[in-house]
Amino acid sequence: MRLRSLNLRHFRNVTLTRLEFSGRLVCFVGGNGQGKTNLLEAVGLLTALRSFRTPDNRLLLMHNQPAAALICELDHERVGTAKVSITLRRDGKEVWCDDTRVAKLADFIGRFPTVAFSSQDQQLVRGSPAGRRRWLDVAAAAMEPDYLRALLAYDKALEARNSLLKSEGASDAELEAFEVALAPAAADLIARRSAVIATLGAHLAKAYERIASGAERPALVYRPDFDEEPDAEALLARLAASRGRDRMFRTTVGGAHRDDFELTLGGRDAKDYGSEGQQRSLVLALKLAQAAWFHERSGVRPVLLADDVLGELDAARRREFWQAVDPESQVIATGTALPDATLGNWRIFRVADGEVSPEP
Amino acid sequence: MTPSFEKLQQALKQLPGIGYRSAERIALNLLVEKPARLPALVAALEEAAQSVRRCARCGNLAEGDAPCAVCADERRDAGVVCVVEQVPDLVAIERSGAFRGVYHVLHGKLSPINGVGPGDLNLATLLVRVESGEVRELILALSNDVEGEATCHYLTQHLPSANAVKVSRIGFGLPSGGGVLYADSVTLKSALDARRNYD
Repeated sequence: MRLRSLNLRHFRNVTLTRLEFSGRLVCFVGGNGQGKTNLLEAVGLLTALRSFRTPDNRLLLMHNQPAAALICELDHERVGTAKVSITLRRDGKEVWCDDTRVAKLADFIGRFPTVAFSSQDQQLVRGSPAGRRRWLDVAAAAMEPDYLRALLAYDKALEARNSLLKSEGASDAELEAFEVALAPAAADLIARRSAVIATLGAHLAKAYERIASGAERPALVYRPDFDEEPDAEALLARLAASRGRDRMFRTTVGGAHRDDFELTLGGRDAKDYGSEGQQRSLVLALKLAQAAWFHERSGVRPVLLADDVLGELDAARRREFWQAVDPESQVIATGTALPDATLGNWRIFRVADGEVSPEP
Repeated sequence: MTPSFEKLQQALKQLPGIGYRSAERIALNLLVEKPARLPALVAALEEAAQSVRRCARCGNLAEGDAPCAVCADERRDAGVVCVVEQVPDLVAIERSGAFRGVYHVLHGKLSPINGVGPGDLNLATLLVRVESGEVRELILALSNDVEGEATCHYLTQHLPSANAVKVSRIGFGLPSGGGVLYADSVTLKSALDARRNYD
């Protein structure tokens, strides 16, 4: 997939802009706080209508504006050319794709894949399980409609059970009624997560090998909260057995909503044992793995959004990173300085205070 | 606008599917544009409020203390009971003409998020019907979602064990006239799970 044009209105600090891209390599250059990342963030919305920086879409609206709009024209391996228009409001969003209104997220998510590389990515190694889970869920839901359905079914049943636990008078029979719906949804979700992590892990090993020449092999290890086989019967029994504790805490304490995964190097958790540089290479490799998986699975090459991450790498690692990137993928990068001209012809845009101007 | 007008508008706005603008339009129409219709509407409302009740047996709409039209129809098989969430569900099945048994309307489904528990549903009378022995078969025609699933489970767990009734749930699958190609994967999965012998 390649982005051909980007129109933005009232998106973060961008009042109005229309940008056209012709080549494979695009770079936004400007000082800190000028709005370079905002442009990448806008493109990143195409994947799952979620920002890679914040879970709250209201933050994407320009201050004091009721709506933000984004219109993209794309070349796409499967549908040819496509025009996507996204309008964000404080109370929701509206998406149009080639003059057809998109009614359900499931009909849109993953059709226009992007993968963002940002300095926040290191949180995938060091940060909270919630952050890792969110990333995994969005990435997997974008690739597999069935993953999204499993996730939504699980969330719905969990929300119902938690509502019961919060109300004083819920009987065991009522709890059981919703556990019967929750357990198969959990089994389904756990099985899908396990498969996704195995596939991503294989891509991760390949990508890491190319950007960090070291002996230690990386791996992605699933840490489900319920660590036995994802069998609906067993999960149902677990839920029934934990009713007493769950009533006390007034919420479902354990389950797939507490799942986690670990990034390991040579069998050891990279959070505790990996060096700064190893962690950095590991998350880059994870994002490259995500891009490779997207491509393998859907036949569509995601647009790579490189948000100044490469600035943090030394020259050798930077070179290795660029060698690992799919040479056909479009790359949209940001930086405070001009990008490496040896990589090819960059289309440069200068960004200053929300104004974007192409460099002749 | 006058205080009485606004009171009317507020009352209309409470109705489902009617917003501020529609309420204003209806109120204006009733009071100013076609006032001749008003007495008939008021009379119809009063009469309906007086006489329309829930059928004591099944929960469907009925007049006064009489059973509903379905329960009163002696040609129908009272041993087969189709359990639905709402009266419009019953109306939809009736319109299909495919069912010759009787109904039981729960008036909702278990929904902890909306604060709907078993006590809020028309469940007790169903259990009484089953206990009385008049029911041979229950067909659960509840929605195909988490809450419908939970309601089915709750209901079957509370059926009296003394009288064996056959319990089934309506099938979920391809819409009539629809091809396999355009069905989503969940629908296809339930269609495959619910496949029947071809004979």
